[in-house]
Amino acid sequence: MVFLTLSCWIRSRGPDRYWKVQEVLKHARHFRGRKNRCYSLAVRAVRRAFVYATKARRLKKRNMRTLWISRIAAATREHGMKYPALMHNLTKTSVQLNRRVICDLAVTEPRSFLSLAKLARARQQEGFRAALGDGKEPAGVFSRVVVLQ
Amino acid sequence: MTSRGTPSRFLQSVLQNGVGRYVCQLKRISIVFSRKAQSSLGVREFIEEGVVDYAKKNPATVVYVSPQSCRIPKIVAEYLNGNVREEIITSKTAPQISDLLTKLTDQSGLDVIRIRKPFHTDNPSIQGQWHPFTNRPPSIGPIRPQKQQEAE
Repeated sequence: MVFLTLSCWIRSRGPDRYWKVQEVLKHARHFRGRKNRCYSLAVRAVRRAFVYATKARRLKKRNMRTLWISRIAAATREHGMKYPALMHNLTKTSVQLNRRVICDLAVTEPRSFLSLAKLARARQQEGFRAALGDGKEPAGVFSRVVVLQ
Repeated sequence: MTSRGTPSRFLQSVLQNGVGRYVCQLKRISIVFSRKAQSSLGVREFIEEGVVDYAKKNPATVVYVSPQSCRIPKIVAEYLNGNVREEIITSKTAPQISDLLTKLTDQSGLDVIRIRKPFHTDNPSIQGQWHPFTNRPPSIGPIRPQKQQEAE
C-alpha cells in the first residue's frame, strides 16, 4: 500500500512572499524604529511617506519662493529699501529677472544686487517726482520704456 | 520614491570631459544574442548590417559579439568609471538597436538617478559670496604705519 493522499494535501501558498515584502521594506530602510524592520508597520509608514512626497512636490515650489522672497527682502533692507518697492520698480524698468535669479545675485554677487537696488530707487524717485511734480518736468531716464522690435 | 529614500547626485561631468578633448566614456559593448531564437531577429539583422559601421565610427569602444544560446538578447555596456549597464533588446528592430547604441555611446557612465540641480558651477561667486560684513562700512579707518616719535 502506498499513501498518496498525504502529498496531495501539501499546497504551496505562494512562492514570492519574500520578494513582495522586500519591495516594500526597501523603501523603509532609512526609517526609525520597528517601521524599518516589521512588514505590517512598514507598509503603513511607506504609504504615508509616498503620500507626503506627492503632496510636497507642490509645497516645495511655494516654500522655495517664500525663501527667495525673504532673502531678497533681507538684502534690500541692507540697502535701505523694502522688498515690494524693489520688485515693483524693477518691473517698471522692465528688468525681467525672477525671484530665484535675484536671490542668487544677492547671495553670490552683492555688488550687482546693489546696482539693482540703486536702479529701483532711482525709478522710485522718478515716480515720486512725476506724481508730485505735476507734469511740467520731463520724465526721467529710467521711466522711458524700451520697446524691443 | 521619496527623495531621501532614493539615491541622488549632483550634475557633473567625468573629469571635465569636453572642456579640452572629448573622450568617449563607453569602454566596451558586448552584444549577447542567440543564433536561432525569434527574439534575436533584430539583433541578427543589426549585426549583419550596422555593427561594423558602428565600430568604425567609435574607435574608442571595443565591440564584442557573442552568439550564445540565451533566451533574452542583451547589450552589456561598460564605462570608463566602472559602471555596467545592461539593456534588454528582445524583439527590437535594427534601427531601434542602433538608436539605443547611440544613446549608450553619448552617456557618461554616471548613475541614472535623480539629479538634484540641472546646473553646476565650481565658481558660483565672482564678486565674493555675501557675508555679514559685506555691506557694512568699516568701524576703524585704513591702518597706516604710526608716525615715528621724535624721542626715538
